[in-house]
Amino acid sequence: MDAPLSPVTLPVDDNINPYAFCVDLQGEWFLHKGKMIAYYGQMRFEALTVASVSALVAAHFSSPLYADDWVVATGVGKLVLGDRGFDINSYDLDDGNLTVRAANLLAFETRLELLQSIVPGFLTLLGTGKFLASSNGPVIFAEPPIRVDPEALVGWADCPSPSYHYDGHWMTQNLVGLLRGAIGIVSGEERQFDFTGAGTVLIQSSEKTMADPAALRMMEQQITALSQAEKVHLHRFLGTQLTQ
Amino acid sequence: MPGYVQVNSKVVQVPVAPGREVLARRGAMLAYTGQVTFRPVTAAQGIPGMLGRVVAGETVKQMVAEGSGQVFYGHLGLHLTVIDLTPGESLQVEADRLLCHDASLTSSVHFLGQQGGIRGAVRGAMSGQGLFTTQLAGDGSAVVLAHGGAIGLQVTPGRVVAVDPQAYVGHRGQLSVDVTAKVGWREAVGRGSGEAIQLRVQGQGVVYVQASEQKF
Repeated sequence: MDAPLSPVTLPVDDNINPYAFCVDLQGEWFLHKGKMIAYYGQMRFEALTVASVSALVAAHFSSPLYADDWVVATGVGKLVLGDRGFDINSYDLDDGNLTVRAANLLAFETRLELLQSIVPGFLTLLGTGKFLASSNGPVIFAEPPIRVDPEALVGWADCPSPSYHYDGHWMTQNLVGLLRGAIGIVSGEERQFDFTGAGTVLIQSSEKTMADPAALRMMEQQITALSQAEKVHLHRFLGTQLTQ
Repeated sequence: MPGYVQVNSKVVQVPVAPGREVLARRGAMLAYTGQVTFRPVTAAQGIPGMLGRVVAGETVKQMVAEGSGQVFYGHLGLHLTVIDLTPGESLQVEADRLLCHDASLTSSVHFLGQQGGIRGAVRGAMSGQGLFTTQLAGDGSAVVLAHGGAIGLQVTPGRVVAVDPQAYVGHRGQLSVDVTAKVGWREAVGRGSGEAIQLRVQGQGVVYVQASEQKF
């Protein structure tokens, strides 16, 4: 049994074990709600809507969709983070860019700038600084050209945004897949993210994703673009889905 | 040709080449490089052993990877173990726990505890253990899933190993697996030890167990 940890023996900006990370807080960090498991020192956790942090948020957090899920940790001390027992990795960006699945992003330094990627459910980090991301199983770093299962993708850095690759072979060999493909329903099996160019792709060790709390809000926003007739169609579609 | 490479405890990298196709659980592909296509396999397409599987109710859907490249497989964040088979050797594993294997391996469906005939099969059902296991034979590799990794236990004549049915992953070699139930009045009144039903493995070979009594 290891000796209990204290502020002196806790690691500085490093993993305590694969599933817990200790941040040496000196100032401010953006933090995903509910991921703090313990802290030493004087800290405040404030919602992004609080006036005292509004300037910081305006400058570094341009994703209103996710604003409800994040807080700002302010103060000095040791902050221990964990995420449902998933593996936690820290990444250092050096004047770079990295796009990561929103559900996997845990915390980031306020030196970094957060943007919402045009790929739904993903966030882009720009600048220089450290951020933390969790994954189901260890992360694998791969280089393009590579095709990745959308569920297994954690993020990508320095390479162009991915495009969809549809495996026509799968669709034509699988009668059900073909039928569904014809009416616009895909099972996900025949669809992959295709990465090209130079950069790094981050893949997690499982195709099991973490729930994205913003997925619903994202869809809600898109619905406003629909016409009246399309909304009626969607209403009927949801009705049949619910009764199934 | 390099074989299966374990990237980490939960991901395996498998080379695919013409004549070296790989069968895998559907949906377990994480990523791939090169020109690889995936095709669902069903009984109708005449993959040996598939028809038997369907009849036996083994519903784990599979897909075959063809072409040339490298494929990464992983499933639900479960630990995996690569088992290399030599010609003449056979591996019996529950279909649920099979992640992927070389298509060159012949697969067939077997009763667990077939030595006991129908009685063995009934016991298999009783223990909550799948009635059927998939037998793989030939020259190639297979990857099995297990909570916390599969632990190989050596079995030699005269050294019998008893295994909890929930922790049983598979076995290879010349082994006979018998389901034993020691159900007494304590079990009947709910005060049993919880270890009444066991698999007794004897013969020559290796039995694989997982570090958990949880099935998936």
